[in-house]
Amino acid sequence: MEYNKIRELLERYWEGESSLEDEEMLRSFFASEHADLPLDLQEAQPLFQYFTEEANLELPALPAMETVIAQLPPVIKQQPWEHWMKYAAIFLIAVGLGYAGRQFQAKQQRIDVVMAQQDTYDDPQKAFAATQKALRLLAKNLNKGTSQVQKLSYFNEATEKIKAD
Amino acid sequence: MSLSRFLSQVVPIRQKLYRFAYHLLGNEEDARDITQDVMMKVWQQQERMAELENMEAWCMRIVRNLSLDKMKARKYRRSEDLDKAGEVAAVHQQSPHMAVERQDVMNRVHTTIAELPEKYRTIIQLRDIDGHTYQEIGEILSIELSEVKVNLHRARKAVREKLQKLNVYGVQ
Repeated sequence: MEYNKIRELLERYWEGESSLEDEEMLRSFFASEHADLPLDLQEAQPLFQYFTEEANLELPALPAMETVIAQLPPVIKQQPWEHWMKYAAIFLIAVGLGYAGRQFQAKQQRIDVVMAQQDTYDDPQKAFAATQKALRLLAKNLNKGTSQVQKLSYFNEATEKIKAD
Repeated sequence: MSLSRFLSQVVPIRQKLYRFAYHLLGNEEDARDITQDVMMKVWQQQERMAELENMEAWCMRIVRNLSLDKMKARKYRRSEDLDKAGEVAAVHQQSPHMAVERQDVMNRVHTTIAELPEKYRTIIQLRDIDGHTYQEIGEILSIELSEVKVNLHRARKAVREKLQKLNVYGVQ
């Protein structure tokens, strides 16, 4: 009867479904001698005997607690202001980038002003000719537009006449 | 973490950590060193104490990590430390012949477990020898509960198959 119970516990054990209590029962069962133990149970006996022996294994004592405490190093807590070099470096980089940005912007503005103030032609005659050419081109394109609008006005006049009739 | 907290929460589990390290490394001296290193590490990481739910599991995890580092560094072969396996068993036997026979059986079981992959060996250690719950094992190994059960099942299956192959049966 007892063997059947042990078989049941073993089955659970091998399946990985046994509880700690089941495993304790198995350990205590196999720790004691059993005459005429069935072969299927003999299979598990050395393993559980081994577990019991390993669990009861007496290891040499560890050094005294006082020794352990004496060896503990003091814990050094770093305060936030101890990172001042890190913060200083970040600040300097930010200032440097800001300064470089402003310098670049100012230089760019100066170039734009100079470019705007600079004359294109040194000779007034050439400048006059170039202006005339540019205006002619403008007038030509403007006339193209008005000629198309002229056609439209004819169309409008025609429709108004028809309406009047 | 104050000294009193360290004394009340960490120092009492020292022996447990030592035992765990010993079973991982199979060497008393190295296990002692690892235990001391863990004490130092925990002391130095005092700020983390507030976030910790399970102090013991955290310490055990550190033991495991440091032990694995040591094993890698020294290319440990745990099966080389077989002589220790049967010593306790031999003391309780009345007949010298039986004692030797039992010691031999214990050595073979020890070798079988020692030859398992580290993951399986540790899980068997934590459950079958140290008697931790599935939840505690999950926290120590940083794995899910389902993974604990699957690995434990596989580890036990592997041990069973190996013992069957070796024809290791109990000594009456």
